Amino acid sequence: MESSDEAAVEKCRIHLRPGTLRDAPPATLHLLPCEVLVSRPAPVGRFFTPAIRQGPDGLEVSFRGRKLRGEEVVVPPGLVGYVMEEKGEGLVGKGFSEGSSNDNEQEQLELVEPPEALERDFDRFIGATASFSGFTLWGLETIPGPDAKVRGALTWPSLAAAIHAQVPED
Amino acid sequence: RDGMDGGDRARARQHVFLLPEYFKDASKKMKSGLMFVKLVNPCSGEGTIYLFNMCLQQLFEIKVFKEKHHSWFINQSVQSGGLLHFATPIDPLFLLLHYLRKADKEGKFQPLDQVVVDDMFPNCILLLKLPELEKLLQHVTEEKNPEIDKKKYYKYSKEKTIKWLEKKVNQIVAALKTNNVNVSARVQATAFFSGDQASSDKEEDYICYAHGLVSDYIPRELSDDLCKYLKLPEPSASLPNPPSKKVKLSDEPVEAKEDYTKFNRKDWKTEKLDLLTGYFLVAAQRQRRDK
Repeated sequence: MESSDEAAVEKCRIHLRPGTLRDAPPATLHLLPCEVLVSRPAPVGRFFTPAIRQGPDGLEVSFRGRKLRGEEVVVPPGLVGYVMEEKGEGLVGKGFSEGSSNDNEQEQLELVEPPEALERDFDRFIGATASFSGFTLWGLETIPGPDAKVRGALTWPSLAAAIHAQVPED
Repeated sequence: RDGMDGGDRARARQHVFLLPEYFKDASKKMKSGLMFVKLVNPCSGEGTIYLFNMCLQQLFEIKVFKEKHHSWFINQSVQSGGLLHFATPIDPLFLLLHYLRKADKEGKFQPLDQVVVDDMFPNCILLLKLPELEKLLQHVTEEKNPEIDKKKYYKYSKEKTIKWLEKKVNQIVAALKTNNVNVSARVQATAFFSGDQASSDKEEDYICYAHGLVSDYIPRELSDDLCKYLKLPEPSASLPNPPSKKVKLSDEPVEAKEDYTKFNRKDWKTEKLDLLTGYFLVAAQRQRRDK
């Protein structure tokens, strides 16, 4: 039997706040070829960024004593990158709480009575905290080649468009 | 607060998303109306997170790219996992088809609001709000329009559905060619020739590949019927696979390591999507406890 908790989550809607898409400040993203197990603040600007060098074939840096090679990857045309966080979990830094201006307050007000809150009690909110139009893709020792899986993934939107476009009628 | 006291709490989880650019413009006009909801996955029948844009009246599917041993640096923070989420438009007809086929067991014409009913995924009523539903449904149903009320009555038509799927396949084949996607087993080899690998692929490889892609959105049974209709080689022994493993189909002609189909299947699977679902579930519970 399903617990009532789970039943509630089935109904749950997680609202993405449109205003945050408009206001999201640009962010710098690096995709590393290793697993860092904990998600937390890190002094990237102190240790990582200043160590990046332009090498003969791409960018070079080292992380935990290993040499990384990388290059800029651009978000596919027609798409924008966003970093999203759920509200109300003790956001560090630029969360929603510190957001600018009245716009934010207006939205807060509005959230109290969303127009379509069918399951208001269980509705949750998520929003963009940052945006990006590209990121740096890093590989261990070598630049991830043209057959890197991430690059394959980035071709997905154009293929998805073909799968889901309406077919002509007879 | 740098964790020395052992009470260092990881910051709120950050999700890296790629969204359509036009969301930004649409967001000027809307105060709300973008939401993640759990709906039925038309292939597996399981729950999957979709993104619904009420303002644009469009449904988007969420695919998550995940590869072992990756992490993000996002500004001055680290986010483990290295997940990359894509929101791309999905043809709602695939989801409607799930309900139409289910209702077809009763064998009669029914109004749509009696067809799209789901205790497990009550958000399915959102599907009824999508524009031009009547036009969409023509592709896969017979309809009746009795005088008594203004409602239209629908009944699933397998023949029409197969023809609709065939058009989908043709449409995908064209896109595969335009995008120069390698569809054959010669992926590794062609990587050495910068020439026209696309033209060396056989038409049947394209159709197989496209059939595999569309099979991610329809149940196994329908996928098999489509396979026969397209006269493709029989898929490898059709075991009564659990739904989530059914996608063996188009793996058959392609054994190359870097094949896109395999990538597509292995790395995009539903269980990966559940990571997001699982997170949302945990977050929702935590939130309520905190109240």
